[in-house]
Amino acid sequence: MEVLREKVEEEEAAEREEAAEQAEHAEKMERMVRLAEVSKEERILTQDELRDLEKKMMAVEIPIPAERPIINKAIIDVSKLPPSYTTNSPKEEHLLQVADNFSRQYSHLCPDRVPLFLYPLNECEVPKFVSTTLRPTLMPYPELYNWDSCAQFVSDFLTMVPLLDPLKPPLYLYSSTTVLKRQKGNCFDFSTLLCSMLIGSGYDAYCVNGYGSLDLCLMDLTREVCPLTVKAKEVVKKKEKVSPKKYAVKPPRDLTSRFEQEQEDKRQQEIQALEKKRLREEEEHLLEAEKSKPDPLHGLRVHSWVLVLAGKREVPECFFIDPLTARSYSTKDDHFLGIESLWNHRNYWVNMQDCWNCCKDLVFDLGDPVRWEYMLLGSDKPYLSLTEDYDEGMDNDDDVEYLGKEDEDKSFDMPPSWVAQIEITPEEFETRCPNGKKVIQYKRAQVEKWAPYLNNNGLVCRLTTYEDLQCTKGLEIKEWYQNREDMLELRHINRTTGLHVDYFKPGHPQALQVHSYKSMLPEMDRVMEFYEMAREDGLIKREETPMTMTEYYGGRSDFLSYRHINFGPRIKKLTQNSAESNPRPMVKITERFSRNPEKPADEDVAERVFLITEERIQLRYHCRDDYITASKREFLRRTEVDSKGNKINMTPDMCISFEVEPMEHTKKLLYQYKTMIHLKNEEKLSRHQAWESELEVLEILKLREEEEAAHTLTISIYDTKRNEKSKEYREAMERVLHEEHLQQVETQLDYLAPFLAQLSPGEKLTRWQAVRLKDECLSDFKQRLIDKANLIQARFEKETQELQKKQQWYQENQVTLSPEDEDLYLSYCSQAMFRIRILEQRLNRHKEMAPLKYLALEEKLYKDPRLVEFLKVFV
Amino acid sequence: MSWPYDSMQLKVMDDNMLKVAVGEQGPQEEAGRLAKQEDILFKDVLSLQLDFQNILHIDNLWQFENLQKLQLNNNIIERIEGLENLTHLVWLDLSFNNIEAIEGLDTLVNLEDLSLSNNRISKIDSLDALVKLQVLSLGNNQIGNIMNVIYLRQFTCLQTLSLAGNPIAEAEDYKMFIYAYLPDLVYLDFRHIDEQAREVAKIKHQYNIDELKHREAQMQAQLEDEQGQREKLAEHKLAFIEHLDGSFLFESLYAEDMEGNKLSYLPGVGEFLEAYKDKFVIICLNIFEYGLKQQEKRKIELDTFNECMQEAILENQEQGKLKVAKFEERHLQCLNAIREETELSNIEKKLIECSDDINELFNMLMMLEMQLVEQLEETINMFERNITDLVGLFVENVQSLMAQCRDLENHHHEKVLETAINYLEKILKGEMDKDLPDDVRALFVDKDTIVNAVGASHDIHLLKIDNREDELVTGINSWCTHLVDKIHKDEIMRNRKRVKEITQYIGHMQSELDNLECGDIID
Repeated sequence: MEVLREKVEEEEAAEREEAAEQAEHAEKMERMVRLAEVSKEERILTQDELRDLEKKMMAVEIPIPAERPIINKAIIDVSKLPPSYTTNSPKEEHLLQVADNFSRQYSHLCPDRVPLFLYPLNECEVPKFVSTTLRPTLMPYPELYNWDSCAQFVSDFLTMVPLLDPLKPPLYLYSSTTVLKRQKGNCFDFSTLLCSMLIGSGYDAYCVNGYGSLDLCLMDLTREVCPLTVKAKEVVKKKEKVSPKKYAVKPPRDLTSRFEQEQEDKRQQEIQALEKKRLREEEEHLLEAEKSKPDPLHGLRVHSWVLVLAGKREVPECFFIDPLTARSYSTKDDHFLGIESLWNHRNYWVNMQDCWNCCKDLVFDLGDPVRWEYMLLGSDKPYLSLTEDYDEGMDNDDDVEYLGKEDEDKSFDMPPSWVAQIEITPEEFETRCPNGKKVIQYKRAQVEKWAPYLNNNGLVCRLTTYEDLQCTKGLEIKEWYQNREDMLELRHINRTTGLHVDYFKPGHPQALQVHSYKSMLPEMDRVMEFYEMAREDGLIKREETPMTMTEYYGGRSDFLSYRHINFGPRIKKLTQNSAESNPRPMVKITERFSRNPEKPADEDVAERVFLITEERIQLRYHCRDDYITASKREFLRRTEVDSKGNKINMTPDMCISFEVEPMEHTKKLLYQYKTMIHLKNEEKLSRHQAWESELEVLEILKLREEEEAAHTLTISIYDTKRNEKSKEYREAMERVLHEEHLQQVETQLDYLAPFLAQLSPGEKLTRWQAVRLKDECLSDFKQRLIDKANLIQARFEKETQELQKKQQWYQENQVTLSPEDEDLYLSYCSQAMFRIRILEQRLNRHKEMAPLKYLALEEKLYKDPRLVEFLKVFV
Repeated sequence: MSWPYDSMQLKVMDDNMLKVAVGEQGPQEEAGRLAKQEDILFKDVLSLQLDFQNILHIDNLWQFENLQKLQLNNNIIERIEGLENLTHLVWLDLSFNNIEAIEGLDTLVNLEDLSLSNNRISKIDSLDALVKLQVLSLGNNQIGNIMNVIYLRQFTCLQTLSLAGNPIAEAEDYKMFIYAYLPDLVYLDFRHIDEQAREVAKIKHQYNIDELKHREAQMQAQLEDEQGQREKLAEHKLAFIEHLDGSFLFESLYAEDMEGNKLSYLPGVGEFLEAYKDKFVIICLNIFEYGLKQQEKRKIELDTFNECMQEAILENQEQGKLKVAKFEERHLQCLNAIREETELSNIEKKLIECSDDINELFNMLMMLEMQLVEQLEETINMFERNITDLVGLFVENVQSLMAQCRDLENHHHEKVLETAINYLEKILKGEMDKDLPDDVRALFVDKDTIVNAVGASHDIHLLKIDNREDELVTGINSWCTHLVDKIHKDEIMRNRKRVKEITQYIGHMQSELDNLECGDIID
């Protein structure tokens, strides 16, 4: 190296003047070299190119993998694995030989291709064929039945470790069980696990060993648009063109100048074109900035993914799944640069097609031996097994032929998988991500995921979108919640405007559906939407600004559909009674009603406006069916009593009305008077309702704050692990069961067993034997009672003796004793006395109880089913 | 109830009495003052109470058109009369009177609550018009026949019935009978009917009720049948082809044709007749079917036309409404600005602006209306042309079919004539004259007679066919002219109404502005 560098430096000095030219040249060469590498073509390089290449190679940094597999060794306890992991069965040995043979033939036939990825070592350093590493498993979770959720689970559950050498397949391929235990793995581990699950749930899935782009291999999504930010495209409904009816009226003649119109159009088009151009330029600019740097190892990076073929599980078209990101791609995607080989649990296929154009031209007909070289003859075609199944049902007369085929198959059958059953515990399934948390970077977005119940506020997902590519300026945040008691589902925070939008699921105590606000203080801009079916008053939406409140209603029996309240500025109170609320004075209440089909239009109020400060009431009625103007009425409302206490009489000038069809009865003062009185009451009611609405807003805000502070989570009663109540209940049940069990064991203690054992087995009891048995049992029991009494007696005597000794010792040495020793002695004495007393009590009690126990046993023996026949006589 | 009313002072229901009652029962206090000031019209009164008035005859109630509740209890009324105009009546109380028969209630179709208790009624009837009846009280009367209750089965809404105090209520089986025969009843004699008792009653009277039900169902079916036939006939009449779907026309040819009937006795004529009839009926059926088809076509045409008219009018209305709404918004702002303005010159300027606005609105609305009128006129003319063409085509085709009928008739006539002459010759020759009735034989006196007879028959037939044809053609033509006239008239009415509406609205706006002006000047 040292020499080389010197040389390079020398040459650099000599060629400095050519540098500029060189640089350009170098770039070109670089591209060529890369191309050469990809196509594996032998080329004679010029001196210059070689130098460039050298320089280039110096610059290339090989990413050092974060973790070495050696470290992992310590984690995996090889000794606890089942024997199938540590050894190969004879069948597997045979398979390995076949594979070895296949590999040698292959390398002989295709010397310019890289060796096949056939039998990497497993965690126990044992070579295992890749197909046997697949363990088709159907997971017990219904959520994992479809490919998308499966892939999502695998991508969430495992942490990606880059390949040790990005240009070669790994040396080791661990079993899926180990990978699941470690919760991390490389792309091959990912695809093996995913493929096992997909085959288990019935897909025609294959593991692929091939080449991928840099982004794909390093699970780099920063150039991808986050799927959560993509808005569903609005489906533009094509309006069905209604053919003009026979008698449709002709439109009025258009008298505008066509020429002017054309000129206007032209101008508009020009402006639009300019705008478009500008936009396009901007876009291009952006794209350039976003474009990835060219990857020097493009096309050489080894990657593994999953191929799903069409046919099974109603898959209409072949597609790829990248197991690292759980995304599906079409087989023509640019990220997939080539396929070496692919395998499932039955067979192994080598791609014999040229991958010069990525995977775009590949044909996935595995039955075609020209395109796909299979390893085992038996199940060369994945479709074959399917057709065979059909044959079985369809024509049974081909049995002989069929049997022959089967025999042939058997000799080449893939041995069963050596991997133990893949198991995912419910906890693991729920926690998903390692430690329950995962962060994914997308283009201008970041997604964080948590397992449910991990965050105590119920947060499960957060999407942060940014303005710039470096992700520094946040634009908006979306947070998804689960299992919240207040039914909050999604919170959308717009950073630039400061607008918060909370979305609720049905079930909020106030039937809240959407709540958008900038601050939680009352009397500010806010919009609340409600589930109107859950509310008695049919409120759909309430909008607030500092000075107004607008409410929208639906489905009410009084046909109220809209109420708008204007507030005036608060009147300052002189006496500061802070306890009493000081509501804003209402200036104007506007109410709109939808048409009540039972009333004639002239009597059905469409809008009424209470101008409270002006003491006016304006009514607008609904328009009649074939009219264009509506009746109106305005009341100059005055209080019934004027300032002097005189009654004010109704006069005709208090009501101004316009009627579309003048009617007799409405002209009467009496009618107007009645209407006015009615309206007066209505106004009172409306004011009251407006006031109540204000109160409700306050209440909701208070409730929301409380809920936010408490953020309690609901726990399903079926979730026995988390639900405290059911847990307690279950534990109590278990305890009870346990106790019962213990009791049973106790009662079943067989006192006769040791004596019965003395008899030879199978021997029938005779009466004599039975009597002897009973006597023996009783005497034994008696002996035990006596022994026990003796034992207690002995201890008692021992204690007394010791005490006496101590007392003697004390009396002898009383003078010389230190106060501490004396204390010790005294405490000993009291303890000893206590023990003696207890022993004495026990002895007495034993003496009392012993005869009773003896009698009880005797009675029990008489009643024992085994002896009862023989002892009956004696009773 | 049977106090000697000659000792009491009888009262007559005159205007005075009614006015007093209305005044007393009308609104009170301020409203009462206003009412008195303005005079209450009898037709505005909704409820009227006239109890304990010693009224003998119901009278002078015809003005109370909108009356909904009328109390005439505790009088000495003997006949129900003078209630014919009170069609909005819902509640009628005639209890404690001397009524002997139910009558005069045939126009009160909205009546829901009828009280006739404490009278002298002996039979329940004349209530057929009261289809909405819910409550009927007939307590303390003299109803003696329990079977009379069955009459009440037709009132499906009837929920409450009281019959206590009648001779029938003393019968042992009274309740059970009513439970069984009036299964929709909820209250009897002010007591709720127990479900269980009803079940028991049902079982008890099952046989009779089943029979009754069967009869009722039969009646119902018959009625429906008739109704269906009537509807069908009406439909055919609309298509102007009534009675053409069979041999009705053919039979009518021979209905008044004595000679023809006589001639059919001739040997051979019977067969001709049969063939003739078959062919004739086929043509009739053709006309019938063609007529139905044409009717369908006309209907579709008319429907599309109406729909399009409606659409155009609605669209125009929407535009008008939009214009008015926009104007009102601006106008309100203007008025407010004027109210707040203090300088006189500015006020005047604004007032002028306002009135300009009003004028502009007027012009705009009128233009819209004119536009619509033009559009509609064009469409109406087109429709008129089309419908006339359709009718013309129909008439033409029917006429050609009728011509075929006439041809048939002519053909038949020739054959009959030939046969008759042959026969006459045979008779004259003295052959086979045994089996003819005398009146037929009378025709075969000489050639003239028989030719005349056959000719007369032929003439009658042709006349009938012509008549039918004329009927059809005039019918459809008059329908067509009526329709077109009506459309034109409606359109004119619509236009007038709209113009009136616009001018009225503009007038109101203008006068409002003028008032404001006056007010301002006064201020």
